[in-house]
Amino acid sequence: MEPVDLARASFLFLPLVLLGLLVFPGRPVLRLLLAVVAAAIVALVLPLWLPRGILTYLASFSTMAGIYAILSLGLNSQWGLTGHVNFGVAGFFAVGAFTSALFTTKMPEGALAAYSQQAFGLEWPFLAGVLMAGIIAAFVGFLISIPVLRLRTDFLAIATLGIAEVIRFIFQNERWLANGPQPMRGIPRPLDCLFADPACSWLPARVANWLAPLSPRDYVFFYLVVVALIVAVVYLALERIARSPWGRMQRAVRDEENSAAMNGKNVTLRRIESFVVGSFIMGVAGAVYAHYVVSIDYSHFNPLFATFIVWVMLMLGGSGNNKGAILGAFAVWAVWSGAAFVIDMASPALRAISADLPSRGAYLRWMLVAILLGGIVLFRPQGILRERKKVSDFLPKDE
Amino acid sequence: MSMQDTPDDAVGRRHDDRSLRERIGAALRSRVALGVALLLTLVVFWILGQRNGASLSDLLSLTVWGIMLGGIISLGAIGLTLVYGVLKFPNFAHGALVTLGAYGAFTIASFLPRGPVLLPFSFGWELLAAMVLAMPAVSLVALVVDRVLFRPLRQRDASLVLLAMASLAAAFFLRSSIYLIWGPDFLFYYPGRANPALHLPLGIRIQADQIFVFVLAMILVALTWLLLERTRMGKAMRATADNPDLAQVRGINTERVIAWTWVLGASLAAAGGVMYGLASQLRPEMGFWLLLPMFAAAIMGGLGNPVGAIVGAVIIGIAQQVSSSFINPAYGPGVAFVLLVIVLVLQPQGLFGKGGD
Amino acid sequence: MIHTCSRPIWGGSMALLDVQSVTAGYGDTEILRDVSMQVRRGEMVSIIGPNGAGKSTLMKTIFGLLHPREGKVFFDGDDISGLHPYQIVERGMCYVPQVSNVFTELTVAENLEMGAFLAKKGDISARKERIYDYFPRLKERRNQRAGKMSGGERQMVAMGSALMLEPKLVLMDEPSAGLSPKMVGVIFEQIKKINDSGPAILIVEQNAQLSLQMSDRGYVLASGENRFEGTGEELLNDPEVGRLYLGG
Repeated sequence: MEPVDLARASFLFLPLVLLGLLVFPGRPVLRLLLAVVAAAIVALVLPLWLPRGILTYLASFSTMAGIYAILSLGLNSQWGLTGHVNFGVAGFFAVGAFTSALFTTKMPEGALAAYSQQAFGLEWPFLAGVLMAGIIAAFVGFLISIPVLRLRTDFLAIATLGIAEVIRFIFQNERWLANGPQPMRGIPRPLDCLFADPACSWLPARVANWLAPLSPRDYVFFYLVVVALIVAVVYLALERIARSPWGRMQRAVRDEENSAAMNGKNVTLRRIESFVVGSFIMGVAGAVYAHYVVSIDYSHFNPLFATFIVWVMLMLGGSGNNKGAILGAFAVWAVWSGAAFVIDMASPALRAISADLPSRGAYLRWMLVAILLGGIVLFRPQGILRERKKVSDFLPKDE
Repeated sequence: MSMQDTPDDAVGRRHDDRSLRERIGAALRSRVALGVALLLTLVVFWILGQRNGASLSDLLSLTVWGIMLGGIISLGAIGLTLVYGVLKFPNFAHGALVTLGAYGAFTIASFLPRGPVLLPFSFGWELLAAMVLAMPAVSLVALVVDRVLFRPLRQRDASLVLLAMASLAAAFFLRSSIYLIWGPDFLFYYPGRANPALHLPLGIRIQADQIFVFVLAMILVALTWLLLERTRMGKAMRATADNPDLAQVRGINTERVIAWTWVLGASLAAAGGVMYGLASQLRPEMGFWLLLPMFAAAIMGGLGNPVGAIVGAVIIGIAQQVSSSFINPAYGPGVAFVLLVIVLVLQPQGLFGKGGD
Repeated sequence: MIHTCSRPIWGGSMALLDVQSVTAGYGDTEILRDVSMQVRRGEMVSIIGPNGAGKSTLMKTIFGLLHPREGKVFFDGDDISGLHPYQIVERGMCYVPQVSNVFTELTVAENLEMGAFLAKKGDISARKERIYDYFPRLKERRNQRAGKMSGGERQMVAMGSALMLEPKLVLMDEPSAGLSPKMVGVIFEQIKKINDSGPAILIVEQNAQLSLQMSDRGYVLASGENRFEGTGEELLNDPEVGRLYLGG
């Protein structure tokens, strides 16, 4: 095994452990043991088995799927937990992405300032940017929730769809805020000096040597670790919340709003809380996305990529089930990415139908996702994984 | 129909022992208050426009253009509100029907012989013919979507959320079909053909096409009203919207009523799409951009109430156009959204909606 | 344990409506079990029984709003189990539900027209006039929205709409529910008048005394099964029925 592959394998280890913990059944200690052993084996085997290019693709695929998993978890905390129909995921995603970008980038100076404008640039570290993204998105969610959450489900769906559009319009048209219609570039990637030559100065020599064979192209392996950790944190937090008294109350509000209200629960406040929690998570997802793609503009946050597909993910995986939210994100993203290959391969056939069709292949993927959602709604509205009605750890399971 | 609704100011007069705060809250949430708030918004928009240096004739022109835009929005909003009333879910695919109508007419017109330009308008008979043909074509699409997607859900008594989700799927399916068939580029019914503005009294400038669009919209709206008020199927639609279970009990074949609702809604949407395309250009997203104003108009007028939807559409059209005198015109749908929020906060039943107080 | 007083002839031309051993319910719950009953032409039949006995469910099953799991419903000789309500209306049966039985947004006249949705277009105004003869009050208010009317007036609109097609059988679900005692009298008088003019009437009532007095026959339904049947008078005088269901 060459040093390059070994170094790449070392980055794969942690995400694989987390994946193992998620899928293996059994008691915690046993699970951990199983997950570590399995992750070690897979992390070593994958680089030997797969060509380097494919492995890099797999890492970047998992990174994007992981970002969608965060979004899908955020949506689940609103829809699955409290029954809010938020058709404006894209808005909160965008707020998170641009917030983190503003907090972590440098204010453009000199000649650059003529081309690139932004409200401010604080050069804060990555994690601070992510946190601010969550906070600002949560704040936006809070502002919106006051007038809107009293409403019927259908009005909420329409209103949130509108909010996302308005947010996108703002980022599209307000040049001073985040460079308007032009992309906001140069969003820093956390610790990208790990992959530079020479590596970060503070790095111990042994680690630097270990990483030396890697090029900046391999950065995605590190970012996969970051994304996996954030997904894990969000997942654990949501699972804890779901089992807490607060989570039980949320489900009570969702299923039996009137009786929850009659039991003295402040229903409106509960609904606002869960909406804010979901907005926070979506904001975090936005930040993670921004630091991954480095350059963002309003068009990234259109309803298809950032709202519709997330709903498909959650519906497919299973509303109300956090594992399902993650599973759905990976499955739909796999369909979406896989469709690109298939359509690419089918392009001669498409050309035979119409000369324009191969260049419009991307829209076939849209269609595929739309059909997927239609199919889910018609044939399996509960998704792959059903909601587990877990009331408390101290009660036996009801299944 | 519900136009005879007396505004619910009884809330204020009723003998009551509620606290002052509650009474103020109730008064604020009445229909009168909503009407006043909407009117005030328009006045504020006018003043803001004037502050930004727009002359009186500019503002008048914008207002007239707003009424024209309202005509287009109302064609979509009527269909939306009817579908909402009869099928009881927000149809997010309605915008896609608008787009489909515009593009369908484009293709149909390209097969028709091009006639002379009907001065002072910029189009010929072929576009009108294409519009008339596009209406049943789009209706057919709507019926197929209903048969494949909504009907099975309906028979299963699916929840509103699932139906809304299904309509979202339909919206994206139709939109991607439009992209696949016609491509992402802008299209024009008559590329490069100008339609110079006419000068009316009071310094109002307006294109003949705009007047045509408005008049045609009003004719279609009037026909729809007649259909709903005077024909058997129209009354059955209103009855089904009012009480679907009772409609069944009375021997109304509700599936047929639903089918006619789709035909009516889709035809109006298609006509609206053609007019929108004539007023600007054809873009695959045009219907999606209209979706927010259409929903705002339908909710403002009271869901299920076609006359209300027209009033709402005109208010929103004026607000959108006048607002462009002081903010970036790109925010048009945003303005519709702000009005929508005002309605939802003050009186979610809308100006002429049934029920509630 | 069916306490039979007078056994109608099964099927045949005598029974207009023949419910044969019907079992029905919602979802997993079975509400009606093996219920049989008949209505003959021109007859007025009451179904009485305590709350939750399945009276409304029986009505809905007869009318096709609910489909029987077992058993069959025959109307005028045809098997109508499994048909849609509009197909049943076509065959001459109409139904007056207990609640929300008028189109509140439609005017009185429009409500009546909707009752005759299946009728030929020409004679609708004649049919309306006939209903106005029954309920002169509706004529005065024909252009008023039904939602703005009182409970008794709404009941008249509901009954009038059901009569527009000149049905052979009218099902009525608790016509007296929520009305003032005076109005109950008026409504029952109307029902009797309607019955005398031709159509058979099957009525479900909480107000058992009154409806049995007026009915030719009655059935007592309890816990989803029919327990007693007989002429109105027989049931009124039956000590067990009296003790259990007539409150005295």
